[in-house]
Amino acid sequence: MRKSIGFLCLILFTFYNCEKDDFCTQTPITPNLILRFYDDVNRESVKTVDNLYVWAEGKDSLFVNASLDSLFIPLNTANTETVYNFSKNNVVNQFTIQYTPNNEYLSRSCGYKVVFSDVTFSSDNTWITDFEPKTLTSIENQNEAHVQIFH
Amino acid sequence: MYRFFISLFFFFILVDGFAQNQQEETDLKVDSIIYKSPYGLRLGIDISKPIKAAVDGSYNSGFEILADYRVSKRFFIATEIGYEDETTQEDYTNSSAKGSYIRLGFNYNAYENWLDMNNEIFVGYRYGFSVFDQTLNSYTPNISSTYFPANTFTPNTATNLNAHWSELMVGVKAETFKNLFVGFSVSYKVLMAVKEPDNFKTLYAPGFNRIFESGTGFGFNYTISYLIPFSKK
Repeated sequence: MRKSIGFLCLILFTFYNCEKDDFCTQTPITPNLILRFYDDVNRESVKTVDNLYVWAEGKDSLFVNASLDSLFIPLNTANTETVYNFSKNNVVNQFTIQYTPNNEYLSRSCGYKVVFSDVTFSSDNTWITDFEPKTLTSIENQNEAHVQIFH
Repeated sequence: MYRFFISLFFFFILVDGFAQNQQEETDLKVDSIIYKSPYGLRLGIDISKPIKAAVDGSYNSGFEILADYRVSKRFFIATEIGYEDETTQEDYTNSSAKGSYIRLGFNYNAYENWLDMNNEIFVGYRYGFSVFDQTLNSYTPNISSTYFPANTFTPNTATNLNAHWSELMVGVKAETFKNLFVGFSVSYKVLMAVKEPDNFKTLYAPGFNRIFESGTGFGFNYTISYLIPFSKK
């Protein structure tokens, strides 16, 4: 009797071994788009944008009345295009990012990462005078700013 | 007073010596009975797998038959053949693997049996091989923000995957009725080679169980087997 209880415990024990053993420590997995604001005359110097509102077309605001010199914005992985509105002093500038999202497998705990390739930027240039670069081969990480925006 | 103690010591030494002499004189009878043990083919099934399939929701089905053949007093050639179907649910992926496997190797019985008893505490080595399909049932890309909802993707099957591994096992077998054995064993597996699907990973291999990040795995068996004796030696 005692033996069979022991066996049962052993069997149960083996079935309850489903505790998570690995955690995804990498953050973020899917990169955000990083924009950095520069002065349009003195192109080397970073220039803060005041009274900045940021929202994607048809979405709630991501930033409200912010004062920033760089932006981290997510791209829509379910689409090939994301349209952002940047508003400065009530002047709206539309910034469009077109890309091909590719899912790339990382690991059991992290799952799939989205890598954006063949990225094209465009802007209707209201308060933004220029931006660099116009295209990118891919956005894979967040190590540095992807786009420099001059205003 | 000291002289009393000293002579008392001598007294004990004498007694001790006397007792030893007495023992040496006894005759030792040599046991002439030799207990023979059966040699033959043992066939069985792993009953933990159907139980696991009934209890564990992510383990869809499993079946394993096993056999061993005794080649010498302590060595057994052993094999297991089976089929498993399991679903792996992770945070961002849901996949299932199904396929068949074979494990081939030997057991060494390290247990010295009393009289005519026929039990085993064994250590064993196995080479394992499995062929299986892995279906990525669905996955959601790991996007850090919730600003845009993530797409969930649809099934994608990778067929004809395979895995090779080495396995060390420790277990016991007890003869409960004549020729009927109940046993259990645990095993530690090290992956030698695995064929990975494109843009995904083999997370589970039948016969190997879950493949851990380091390429290792664990197994458990609870077996009932029947010995068909061929001869007694």
